[in-house]
Amino acid sequence: MSYEIKEIKKGIKTHFIKTNKFKTDLFAIFLTVPLDKNNVTQNALIPAVLRRGTENLKTQEEISIMLENMYGANLDCGVEKIGDNQVLKFYLETLNDNFLPQVENLSKRAIELMLDVVLNPLMENDAFKKEYVEAEKKTIKRIIEGRIDNKDLYAYTRCIEEMYKGKQYGLYKYGYIEDLEKINAENLYESYKKLLSEAKIDIFVSGNFENNEIIKYIEENENIQKLNEREDKHIINTEETEKKEKVEVSTLHESKDVTQGKLVIGLDIDFYKPNSRYVICLYNVILGESATSKMFQNVREKAGLAYSARSTYLRQKNNIFIRAGIEIENYEKALNIIKEQLEDMKNGNFTDEEIENAKKYMISGIKTVQDEQDSEITYYLGQELSGKLISFEDYMKNINSVTREQIVEIANNINMNIIYFLKN
Amino acid sequence: MQIIENSRVKEKLYVEKLENGLTIMIMPKANIQKKYVIWSTNFGSIDNKFIAPNENEETFIPDGVAHFLEHKMFEQPNGTNSLDTLTALGVNANAYTSTDHTCYLFECTDNFLPALDELMDYVQTPYFTDQNVEKEKGIIGQEIKMYDDYPQWEVYMNALRNMYKNNPITIDIAGSIESIAKIDKDVLYKCYNTFYHPSNMVMCFAGDFVPEQLLEEVKKRLKNREKHGEIKRIYPEEPEEIVKKEITKQMEVSMPIFVIAIKDSIDSKNCKSDSIVKKHIAIEILLNMLIGKSSKLYKNLYESELITEEPYLEYEFSKQYAHIAITGQSNNPKEVLKKLQEEIRNMKSKDLDIEHFQRIKNMIYGNYVKEYDDVAEICRMFVADYMKGINSFEYIENYKQVTPEYAKQVLDEVFNEEKMVISIVEPN
Repeated sequence: MSYEIKEIKKGIKTHFIKTNKFKTDLFAIFLTVPLDKNNVTQNALIPAVLRRGTENLKTQEEISIMLENMYGANLDCGVEKIGDNQVLKFYLETLNDNFLPQVENLSKRAIELMLDVVLNPLMENDAFKKEYVEAEKKTIKRIIEGRIDNKDLYAYTRCIEEMYKGKQYGLYKYGYIEDLEKINAENLYESYKKLLSEAKIDIFVSGNFENNEIIKYIEENENIQKLNEREDKHIINTEETEKKEKVEVSTLHESKDVTQGKLVIGLDIDFYKPNSRYVICLYNVILGESATSKMFQNVREKAGLAYSARSTYLRQKNNIFIRAGIEIENYEKALNIIKEQLEDMKNGNFTDEEIENAKKYMISGIKTVQDEQDSEITYYLGQELSGKLISFEDYMKNINSVTREQIVEIANNINMNIIYFLKN
Repeated sequence: MQIIENSRVKEKLYVEKLENGLTIMIMPKANIQKKYVIWSTNFGSIDNKFIAPNENEETFIPDGVAHFLEHKMFEQPNGTNSLDTLTALGVNANAYTSTDHTCYLFECTDNFLPALDELMDYVQTPYFTDQNVEKEKGIIGQEIKMYDDYPQWEVYMNALRNMYKNNPITIDIAGSIESIAKIDKDVLYKCYNTFYHPSNMVMCFAGDFVPEQLLEEVKKRLKNREKHGEIKRIYPEEPEEIVKKEITKQMEVSMPIFVIAIKDSIDSKNCKSDSIVKKHIAIEILLNMLIGKSSKLYKNLYESELITEEPYLEYEFSKQYAHIAITGQSNNPKEVLKKLQEEIRNMKSKDLDIEHFQRIKNMIYGNYVKEYDDVAEICRMFVADYMKGINSFEYIENYKQVTPEYAKQVLDEVFNEEKMVISIVEPN
């Protein structure tokens, strides 16, 4: 396995992951821009419109036929919030040429197709095709409205939204219905042109390729040649920029048609030292990420209050979120047990064995990142956006060097920000 | 060990059936860090009536016992919980229950043998007390309620209830709050002793292993069990026809979701694995030709705003049931059903489009090959197929033999309007 980054133009990079572990090749393009209320909705709509048709393959049907002919290649588009950035994502996965029933060169066709979709959309009167824009506006509208369909996720994203009210990160990644209504084929195309000329562009190739001929092939692609140089304006979020002072804890209860209450607690971290993220990772595993964690053991196993009880660390924004699905009337009981766990962490009431277990948990996780093509790409994209490349080896070394004192120190600088409860 | 090689995916499967009846399957994967193992018993939510070996009386158990047992297996006589022990080793352990099997698994990068010790120890050591059984009812109760809040689960279960009159597949895998209240340690021991015998179990490994060495490691850790007689599973007679055509339920969703399902018949006389596999492949091709992303119907539905994304297409079956399920979202699910039925009639009225057929066949080939990249996926697939009497390699071997003529025949037999149901969950 090897990993090479190359800046092919200012603001545009290729990332080549050479690996022989897989029967598939994975190609990806990420367009990254700072989150902005003024264009978050347009940006969310763009991938949906792009996958409808290109100058070469004018309809969704033609694209689908092409993908099916390529032994079921998968084209995936979407939008993600990574720290204070909005990232437009495009993936294309194909069978590696060694596993085709007959000799063909699928990888080059795949790259061409992906670049075609992202950079060469079907045009109509110097704008996007109107029909596609109108149809996809409805798709995005449905996605925005569909947020309530998954109540666990709804509670989680509502909690984040509330914590970051009025701030970039509080924006919903799919945007807003009132803004959607103002979009038409012309102004969306203008947004797209602006996006293409300003976004940070990262192109990933993962697969069993002999040399970097494949990267050269991308560089020489006509659509890539047309792209201008650009300043990298994406926002770098680190533990330092995301250190958050203690605030008064707010409580928000909302009602929906649920049979089970969904409790979400947002925690802020008021602490920074170099490499503190590794300490926070371990704090979080001990608190609520693994099956031996305090949350799992005390909320679920001892009290029997929940089936799902855990915490997650949102690294880019330096927050921890505690989540549990509980009987609505057990709200106080569950909250008290959770508060006790946070106190226990502050008082260092965890064993050295728990620290060791948490380290093993993290290390096993990082080792298996390389066993999956998409998680490996996600890892490297995260590094790219954080402005610092950390090798898997260094990551493990940093985890292993964390001490008990550091974890207790962090624990004493972690504060509740909000208690969100979704009930009926 | 028997070695089965597949030249297309370039993988080998090592298989051994031990004297005590346990089947072991190993797929070595060089270069992969992750090691994965599943130990599975052929006992799932539909096995609720049986005659245990050496008994004459029928046993009828409350709904949700297989799943309850899965939760309780981790608790050990010395007061430890095996999930904790495994987690402490840095391995990721879990378990799940389906309609026809229960799985205990872990994945790891290091500490494989100590973890294997623990896995094989706890699955062979049942320990149930009144107290630990009672406590679990609260946890499982919350698991049931979590599913109650998933409209996708509700709409699917309703489709099953519309298709099957007597088949226990209509029972929720976890049971209900009322049914789990009836579960006690005696019923758990009874089911453990009946179904957790090596002759009713299979173990599957994928990762960087030397098969012969691994086999010895497994043998060393097996406890002696007396030979087991046959378990007589009793399933109710299921009529060919469906229960009712339509069901609608209100929940808080943004847009109606639907499952259109077609009940298929089980031919217990003709259940050779290669014919089942061929039929499965043909149905997958047909579903994609009918309503897949490049189909005329999909284009029509998308453009008339009846659907907004590709429906999820599936053929689900075991030795006891079989049906097709098409899951999607629409403002007018009944119109989708009507158009689907029209398209089926239209497709039946002529020969299949050869170019379209071949294209979808290629796509399905690609999908099968991709399954072999992930050790977790490999183990899950081989175990689930094993329970159906299938070796997963058969899909890649048989795909060539599925001809348009054969697929047409399957279309005529299986895609039967009389056996079609629709379940809808709509906004309240």
